Amino acid sequence: MSLVLPSLIVSLLVYAYIKKADVYSAFISGALEALPMLYRILPSMCAMMAALSLLRKSGAMDAFTGAASPVLQRVGMPEELTPLFLLRPFSGSAALALLRDIFDTCGADSFEGVAASVMLGSTETVFYTISVYLGSIGVTKPRYCVAASLGAAMAGAASALVLSRMAGV
Amino acid sequence: MMNCIWGFLILCGFGAFALSGDPAASVDAMLCGVSEALELCLALCPSFMLWLGLMNVSREAGLVEKLGRAARPLLKRLMPDSPGAMAPITLNLAANFLGLGSAATPFGIEAMAELQKASGPGDAASDDMCMFIALNSSAVELLPTSVLALRAAAGSADPYCVVLPTFIASLISASCAALLCLLLKRRVK
Repeated sequence: MSLVLPSLIVSLLVYAYIKKADVYSAFISGALEALPMLYRILPSMCAMMAALSLLRKSGAMDAFTGAASPVLQRVGMPEELTPLFLLRPFSGSAALALLRDIFDTCGADSFEGVAASVMLGSTETVFYTISVYLGSIGVTKPRYCVAASLGAAMAGAASALVLSRMAGV
Repeated sequence: MMNCIWGFLILCGFGAFALSGDPAASVDAMLCGVSEALELCLALCPSFMLWLGLMNVSREAGLVEKLGRAARPLLKRLMPDSPGAMAPITLNLAANFLGLGSAATPFGIEAMAELQKASGPGDAASDDMCMFIALNSSAVELLPTSVLALRAAAGSADPYCVVLPTFIASLISASCAALLCLLLKRRVK
């Protein structure tokens, strides 16, 4: 497993050089794109982490997860993952902030940490995508695309739990 | 949508602080959250730059087009009514697959315009639009860059151990998206 990424990078670069791509400037302009991306998520991350910190330090978070977890635990969802599962469809930066929270409390290599990573990586900000894409062409009736997208997200979250358990962490 | 959620969260937080009898600590708690967000963005920066740089190299080498061509036959069957939209759709999904979110969005917008050309004007989403958006929502991605960046920043012993499970989980969710759309399409008809 430790060889996968290095060999991926080496073969990508060799392939790109064979194809005579301008590898260096492609890398530079790609890396540059990271900055506006971070610049764009920072304000919403601030908003969300201010709210999260408020909820955590006031004890409201504990009360909430305590109330919701018996239901979700019945289907195999650890209580630390409940807020992530509920907020993921709305906001990518909120989900990242929550993932950071889970890493802080449980550790990145714990079952909760791995399951949360897989869950976040295999689902999208469903409502954001729908509003941007349909909004771009002025369509106001999404019909069944909300149901199908949320169904897919739930399937992704469920398989994230099963696969992380199978990975044996 | 986020407007209501955020207000609700903030009010809950202040309410709970008022009940706990130490409302003055609430402002400190918020400031603390904001400075955590700033630290987090700084911690994400190195991995973002490295992976987006490499993924852009893959685009320049023509891998996006190549992936798109490979996915085309399958996508044609999933979205049969809009042959004209196939090019931007494949490019959008291929760019998403390589983690090039900012490159994927323009292709996605173009795809939506083409899909609307195929379905004619109207304020309701067509079957093919639903399929395209549902496929987009399952995030099939080679490297979930931001998750990996966060894991590395949190000091994980093996940040990349989630790559394969994430890939499998997103394939399962993409198949579910396609299946659900086909089922719902039939039922609506």
